[in-house]
This record gives sequence, structure tokens and C-alpha cells, in this order.
Amino acid sequence: MDKAISLKNVTHTYQANTPFAQNALDNVTLNIEKGEFTAIIGHTGSGKSTLVQHINALLKPTTGSLNVLGKVITPTTTNKNLKAFRKQVGMVFQFPEKQLFEETVIKDIMFGPKNYGATDEQARHSAEHAMKLVGLDHSLSNKSPFDLSGGQMRRVAIAGVLAMDPEILILDEPTAGLDPRGHNEIMDLAKYLNQQQHMTIILITHQMDDVVNYATNVVVMDQGQAVKIGPPDTIFTDLDWLRKMQLDLPSSAEFARKLESAGIAFDQLPLTVNQLVDRVAQLVGKKAAHE
Amino acid sequence: MQNIIEVNKISYNYPERSLLFDNLSLNVREGEWLALIGQNGSGKSTLARLIDGLLVLKSGAITVDGLPVNDENINEIRNRIGIVFQNPEDQFVGATVEDDVAFGLENRQVPREQMHEIVEKSLKSVGMWQFRERIPANLSGGQKQRVAIAGIIALHPKIIILDEATSMLDPQGRNDILQLVRDLKEDNHLTVISITHDIDEAAGADRVVILNQGQIIDENTPDGIFAQPQRLKQIGLDAPYPAKVIEALSRRGITSDKQYMNDEELIAWIKQLVSRM
Amino acid sequence: MSNFIFGRYLPGHSWIHRMSPQSKLLLSFYFVIVIFFANNGYSYGLLSALIVFVILMSGVSIAYFLKGIRPLIWLIVFTVLLQVLFSSGGHVLWHFGPFSITDQSLINGGFIFIRFLLIIMISTVLTLTTTPLAIADGVQTVLKPLKKVKFPVDTLALMLSIALRFVPTLMDEMETILNAQRARGVDFGSGSLKHRVKAAVPLLVPLFTGAINHAENLSTAMEARGFSDSEHRTKYRLYKWQFRDTISWIVFLLVGGLVLVFRKY
Repeated sequence: MDKAISLKNVTHTYQANTPFAQNALDNVTLNIEKGEFTAIIGHTGSGKSTLVQHINALLKPTTGSLNVLGKVITPTTTNKNLKAFRKQVGMVFQFPEKQLFEETVIKDIMFGPKNYGATDEQARHSAEHAMKLVGLDHSLSNKSPFDLSGGQMRRVAIAGVLAMDPEILILDEPTAGLDPRGHNEIMDLAKYLNQQQHMTIILITHQMDDVVNYATNVVVMDQGQAVKIGPPDTIFTDLDWLRKMQLDLPSSAEFARKLESAGIAFDQLPLTVNQLVDRVAQLVGKKAAHE
Repeated sequence: MQNIIEVNKISYNYPERSLLFDNLSLNVREGEWLALIGQNGSGKSTLARLIDGLLVLKSGAITVDGLPVNDENINEIRNRIGIVFQNPEDQFVGATVEDDVAFGLENRQVPREQMHEIVEKSLKSVGMWQFRERIPANLSGGQKQRVAIAGIIALHPKIIILDEATSMLDPQGRNDILQLVRDLKEDNHLTVISITHDIDEAAGADRVVILNQGQIIDENTPDGIFAQPQRLKQIGLDAPYPAKVIEALSRRGITSDKQYMNDEELIAWIKQLVSRM
Repeated sequence: MSNFIFGRYLPGHSWIHRMSPQSKLLLSFYFVIVIFFANNGYSYGLLSALIVFVILMSGVSIAYFLKGIRPLIWLIVFTVLLQVLFSSGGHVLWHFGPFSITDQSLINGGFIFIRFLLIIMISTVLTLTTTPLAIADGVQTVLKPLKKVKFPVDTLALMLSIALRFVPTLMDEMETILNAQRARGVDFGSGSLKHRVKAAVPLLVPLFTGAINHAENLSTAMEARGFSDSEHRTKYRLYKWQFRDTISWIVFLLVGGLVLVFRKY
């Protein structure tokens, strides 16, 4: 598989050469392949947001370099020519509804494509397509985005990023503050974009159930370092270590541990409901065969 | 148990909107933890604002601790109710932690000497005394919510309303805040109304009320409410974890006559399934 | 992470921190006025020495102060250049068309530079060592006489304190919006003036919308916390005139007097 993103010894120091200086990223090296769904986890302040802001060059490394879709970004990369690059890396910030500003929903979604040189007609086409993707009804096109519900505004903002047709989509806690239905809709959208549109997805999240249900790859951040990288089942193994990282267990792993203390053994800690239930069904089946 | 809040046949609509509440009634018992659940837009937060007199009823009546909510009683009502709002940033009025806790006391014209004592005690009770000189920009969301709670405790209220107070926090911050409120509830004999769509938060309540499009569609113990996971899903809420396990097991042909069990019951049942010889 | 220094109070217990905000506020005004009376190397030297002393007494690293200059550096350079190139008098050292540099204009340019530094330094000392609330309290006390003519002094002070409290919040929000729109292909800070003004719309609309949202939520929260009338509240903080204030005033008045004396030299 092709590499979409590759970081080599990336360090980022905020306010270098001042008394405020602090390393937000500390010598991070990691690779993300095209088409992967990567979750970035770690407690608040561990460097997750700083990491993803490098991926579309909103921040540049203080030392080290990264290669994103063939574009090399080093400490000396100038802001010229970054625009074309940023189009390929869509970034949905936390509470993205805060960036809405146009008079109508459709205009706001067209804003990105138009900045990248699309004609009105092209932009409208992309915007309408994006609205469909995020499940916004066509009838909302000419409404003011500020008259919509919180969940709808969130989707307008995400559509505004999708309309640029990025190859990589970064989602920084996209479901924060949403109710469960809104949460599931956004997560299912991310899954659809990943599986049907082959978009490379990077998700920052605090919700371990989302990590195990959606991600194929996990990066654990702690104090600016990528301390563990791998598929979900390699991450949630060492309970003491997880506690040290201030990370929760997924609900199923938590429940499986309770089952274990009640005397039901698991060869491997299940992470999802299906894994847990498979094991239980297996044990019940065994018993049935025994009888 | 006595009712500390009585909501009696109220109607309310936001200006230029259709009726949100039409003849809604609800009682809150003294000393209980009541979870008010429902999806965004169901009217949960509006109800909290009506109870605190922040919005004015169209018709009907609300009494808090025996006092009708009206202009005359508004100060007394607000002495009895503290609300922790959703956004930690938007309720931090003071320049520093201690000034913020003092804000409510200043409003009530508490003499300065007493204020200092109360602020210290309140901040200690939420574990924020060592941060008293911090400015809000240097606090986490969870810490700001702690300060908000200290500001409420300082006024010795009878009721705390958590208006999605944990929804913008990370899981650890969320658990910390809930544990803190549980402890404070015990120590200060409080009544707690928690407005939430977090099913785990609701699971810890004494009683759960489901609000949907301005109407109460059910009220019961958490176990009673969770016994119908399908309905929770229908109104946009999540099924509690054990319900998901039961559903997944039934898809594999392992069925139970119950749709919901709590953790302990579910563990006992699975154990029985697996080990019965 | 904002570079903006104003409104970022640094907690501490230095001599300066513990002065009453009223004193600090009035002394800062007084100092700025004195600066404009300075007209030669002696007086500028004296004022610079005083400000260095004040900075040392504040216990805040000098680097914080230097950072405070950065956003204003172009304004300073421009004004100093203007002064150097266009003022006349003294020996002409260099000239070209309408521009000329004289020994006198160089000295004047230097003085203006120092003047800027002094003003920035004293206001930075004030904001770094005084909480926004205390500044607002200081304003409240200073304006107290206006209460007699029914001027809502307390309301003004509370408004000021809340506005200052939200400065870092709004700065952080601006940073996020800036990044979000850059990610949507906006080029801030390049192109023609017209282009730049246009590029400001996607920044300003969300910023104002956010500010209005904050204001709405905050007013609800304040009301819920029992706020109704800003003119009838007790005060948590009491800023008493202290011995250290008297000392500070004596030092500043003395320096002011000396500056007046030095004018004659």
C-alpha cells in the first residue's frame, strides 16, 4: 500500500526562544497508509491537535520533516504553494460550526471549492454532492446556517470541507457535544467515506468505543510523543499502561474484565460487542456440544 | 418524600416558535437524583431555565421549595437552585478562580469577611483551592466546571441542576465531575437534576424522565427505562451497554426473556449460560 | 496559543503585584504624562532607570516585556524613521530629495524610540501584575466621583472586567477560525488590499457570532447566579492604600520633579 502520510522525527516547539517555549511534539515518527482509518488518542494536552495541524501544514515542524501525499514539509517550507496542497487534506476542527459565516448553507459549502478556483457551477455541484453525503436535505440550501440546529450546523461545516474533495480527511473530535443520534450519524459518515470513497481518515477522539468500532490503526500520544502505534487489538492489552496514559478501556473490554472476575475466561480481551458475544457464544456452544 | 419542585401544567414557546411545552407537569422529590434525558431540542434545558425563572412561563405554575416562581420570589428561588451550564467558558465571570466563586456572594451582598471564609471552604470542597489564583485561560474544562460548582456550593443551595454540564468534557473530566456532585449531594443533602443524553450518567440516577419533543414520554427507575432499548434508539438515544450485549447474543440465537439487565444481572446470566452442566 | 500579551495576567506576589490597583493605574497615567515632559538624555536616562527598576521589582522575566513590543515594532520603526528623515535642525549628515538626516534628528528619533518603549513597558507592567478585575476595580475607584452625576461607574467596571476576562478566549477562538478558513483555502495576509478586506469577512463574521453567543450564555449564567444590579453588590476584594503605595508615589513624584528640573539643562 502507498503511504499517505509519513512523519520523520518531527518536533514542534510552541513559541520557540521565549520563556513560554514548550515542546508540543517531541520527535514523532510515524507512517499512515492510504485508505486507513487512523484514530489518534491520548489525554488532553498530549499533542493530538498539534500533530494533525502539521498534516495539512497549518503548523510546520520546528525540526524534522513530513511527507504528505508526496508533498515534503520541512521547517523552511514557505507558505507559497501550500494552498493547492491543503485542498487535498481536509480538516474538520473541533466545533467546526464556529467557522460558518455565509448567508446561506449552500454558499458556505461552496466557499472552499471557490477558493480553490472552482467556477460557481462546479462549486455548486460539489456542494450539493457534499450535502447529500452528510445527509443534509436539499431544501436547506438557501437557509441561513445560523437558523439550523447544532447538529445540522456541524454537518454544514463538515460538508464545507468535503466539498473540496480531499484525499485525506482529519476529524478533530467531530462528535463533541452532539447527542447519540448525531454522534452515530457522523461516525457512520466517516466510515462510509473511508470504505466507499477510499478516503484516508484521521480521527482524534476520546471515545474508545469509536476507536475499536471504526479505526483500523491507532496512534497513542503522550507528552508530545507517539508512544504506541498499531491496530486496536495491539493497543488495548496492557491495562496498567493504559491507566498510565489516562485512557479508558472500550466498554466491551471493561465488561469482559468483569466477566473474567466472575470466572469466565477470555484468551484475548474482546474490544467490541461482537468480539465479546462471539466468545460467549463459543463457550455456550462448547457446553451444548458437551451435553 | 416531599416534592421540592412542582411543575404544574405549564406551557411555553420561544418567541415566534410553536408551543414547546403544552400542559407539562413534573414533580421532583427532595433528595433525589433525577436524570432528564432526551435528544437535543427536546426541551430539557428550556425546562431548567423555566424552573430557575430565567424564562417566563406562558401558562401554568412552577413552585420551588414551596415558593411559586415569579418576579417577587426570584432571588429566593435562585438562592435555592444552582445551575452548572454546558459550556465551561461561558459561566466563568470572575477574572480568577476565587473571584468567580465570589461572584454569586457579591451579588447577594454578603459581607467581605464572610466571603473570604466561604470562598475558601467552597473551593476546598471541590479540590480547587490550590488553583485559586489561576485565570480561566489556564484551566481545563473540567477544572472550570469544578469552579462553577464551588460557586454554587458557596450559596448553600438545595438543588443543583447539571445542564449537560459534562458534555464538553473528556471521559475522565466527566467521571470526575459526576463523582464530585455525588459526594456533594451526600454531604449537603442536595437534590440533583441532571440533564443529559449520556446514558451512563442517567444510569446512576434514582429516577429517569424521558423528554421528547416537549413531552414526558416515560418516567421510571433507570432499570425500568432501559428495559426498552428499542424505544431509546427510536428517540435518538443510545441503548445502555448491557442491552447491546443482550441484543447481539439474541442475534446468535442465545435469547433471554428480558431485554435489559444491569451489569450484575447480565454477568450472572452469562455465567449461568456458560457453566450450567 | 496566542502571542498576545495584553490581558494575560501573571500571578505573583512581588512588591508591584501587591500595590493597590488604583495606585498602579494612576501612576501609569502619571508616568506617561511625565514621559512627554522629558526632553534630554538626563531625563530619558532617569525614566529608563526607573522603568528597569520597576520591572525588576515586578519579578517578571524581562523576556515577557520584550514580547510585548513585537506586535508594535513596525509602528515604532515607522514613527522613528519619519522623525529621523523629516525633522530638521542640526548638522546635516545625509540628504536625498526631501529626506535628510541630521545629528539632531537622530537624537530625536532615539528619544521617540525610548518614549515608545517606556510607554509600552509601563502599561505591560500594569497588565502583567494586575488582574483584569483589579484594573477594572481601579477604574471604578478612580471614576467614583462621577457617581454623583449618576454615571453607572460600577456597571462600567464590571463590563470592563468581563471584557478583559474574555480577551484570551476570543484570541484563541480567532486562531482556530483563522486556521479553519486557511484550511478551506483562504489566503490571509497576501494579495491586494481589496483581497485582504474580503478575506477578513470569513474571519470576522464567525468571531462576532461567537462573541455574541458567549455574551448570551454569559448573561444567562450571570442571571442564574443572582446578578441583577451591578450598583448594589459587595466586593470580594478590598484594595487598601498601603505603605508601599505611599513609597511608590514618593519615588514617582520625585522622578517627575527631577524630569522637570532636567528640562532646564
